[in-house]
Amino acid sequence: MKRRVVTLLLALGAIFGIAAPALADGAQNGADVHVAQSLGDRDLTVIVRRVAEVPGPVHVDVVTHAGTPAGELSLTLRSAGAPSSATKVVLGATPGFYSGLLHVDRPGPWELAVDEATIPFVVPALVPSPWENATYGGFIAAGVLLLAALVLAVLGRPGFALVPAAGMVAAIAVGVTAALLSPSIPPVPAPGSDLDPTYDTVMNPYERTSIADFSRPPVNMVPRVDGQDLVLSLTDGSSGRPVDDLLVHDSAFVHLVVVSPSGHLRHLHPVRTAPGEYRVKLRDPEQGTHALAAEIARRGGGVQLLRSTVDVEGGAAAPAHDGKADTGMEIREAGRPSTLTANFGERDLQPWLGMLGHMIVVGPITDGPAGAPIWAHVHSMLPPRPGQPDQPDESVAAYGPDVPFTYSFPLPGRYLVWIQVERDYSVVTVPRTVDVPAGKAAVK
Amino acid sequence: MKRSVVAVVAGVLAVIAAAVVLWPRTVEAQPHLAESADLRFELTPDSTKSGSNAFDLRITDRSGNAADGDVTVEPAMPQMGHALAPITAAAQAPGRYRVAGVDLTMPGQWEITVSLRGERVVIPLLLT
Repeated sequence: MKRRVVTLLLALGAIFGIAAPALADGAQNGADVHVAQSLGDRDLTVIVRRVAEVPGPVHVDVVTHAGTPAGELSLTLRSAGAPSSATKVVLGATPGFYSGLLHVDRPGPWELAVDEATIPFVVPALVPSPWENATYGGFIAAGVLLLAALVLAVLGRPGFALVPAAGMVAAIAVGVTAALLSPSIPPVPAPGSDLDPTYDTVMNPYERTSIADFSRPPVNMVPRVDGQDLVLSLTDGSSGRPVDDLLVHDSAFVHLVVVSPSGHLRHLHPVRTAPGEYRVKLRDPEQGTHALAAEIARRGGGVQLLRSTVDVEGGAAAPAHDGKADTGMEIREAGRPSTLTANFGERDLQPWLGMLGHMIVVGPITDGPAGAPIWAHVHSMLPPRPGQPDQPDESVAAYGPDVPFTYSFPLPGRYLVWIQVERDYSVVTVPRTVDVPAGKAAVK
Repeated sequence: MKRSVVAVVAGVLAVIAAAVVLWPRTVEAQPHLAESADLRFELTPDSTKSGSNAFDLRITDRSGNAADGDVTVEPAMPQMGHALAPITAAAQAPGRYRVAGVDLTMPGQWEITVSLRGERVVIPLLLT
């Protein structure tokens, strides 16, 4: 009798040891959303921090940059158009982080309105995956069956006890198989980046669809000038409908580069004011035809470069870029990789748009930037941080001083090049011209 | 006594089987071959993991004679739209070159372009 009690106690301990349900991680943990916004006279970076629990708080950081006027921003969270929580963020005169606290009451697609700019984002639901359910379910069933087998054995029915014992072996096999195979199961298409985020797709992310190719048609961009603002109208190249599925790509919905007739560069991040409509203020423009290039990424993958021109009325003289850097250039013939390394002196550069540096290349120039056949955007990457999903934000000022770029200029000729980095919450732009010699292949 | 021996043997067998199934495997660095019009290139990376890497290069002509000249290596990662500055390989022996200190910081599919005397080959390299 004593032995039976000891056996029973040991078995119970084993059951609770195995079957205690571990807390599962959700399907997608999400990550911070960093979006650069050129909102009126302000250059902001809006960071929507990862939502840890639903319902729960949403931390929003607004990063201001040098030259951002002080004032008040209203932040509103909306779900399906209905506002659910709002707050005000008072921006000070010094550049840096200003925080607001909002509240979500359910997972799904949400929209953060920052004054007239709107930022769609997804609050993921914590849904255990089918293979997690199989793993935990298998072990829990094994525990229950072991208990049943023990009870039958203790009651003197060893023959009947064989049935739950066999079931326990099967349940352990299911749990172990699911646990071992789960790392090799491909992730499901994520609502927000592959699929359109709806309440259904967010709540049930493991519902597989038959879609294999998630890419979407190209986009038409029609720019127009409205007062001081430049308004971009984005429409689908196949249906003509407004394009409202832009992804945050390199920390912005639209990377708009505007080059004036005299070669002055602006790198702007238009704000979404309506579906398919993006708006940005052009401060003190020059008169004449400006070259535009917008980099966007649609849901489902693939980055597109949209080029256009717009005629601007204005009287201002072109301001000169005041960025300074020693630029080492190793220019090879067209088609071979050339290297430009900008040295900014101190090791205090901040990440800008998730990168250490950006280089915009326009050329070869014959009659102004609007007619240049090549338009490129080259990155200098941040050193990798293994195991950390979130990119460092702008509060980390510890990069540089060397910012290297490698680019194969496809055609010989004279190129306009601008190197951009961030320091002291201010974007530093260093203009250069590069003469690329003709390669042997081009001579042939 | 006999039963306990059987149990011990079964346990040892189970542990060995689990070790064989679950043992972490590293991919051996294999030589990668590529041929251009006149030359044969053989690239052997030191490692198949991301991080600082080095390549051994063996370059011969079609009939197996060692090739000589300036060898340039251009690493690029097409998925990220990112290229590294080209590196000139150091000659070790006739037809043998070595490039050290190549910082391939990201795991994924890389493209290593090797060129000699105007002949270029692109060698894919998968890093984990």
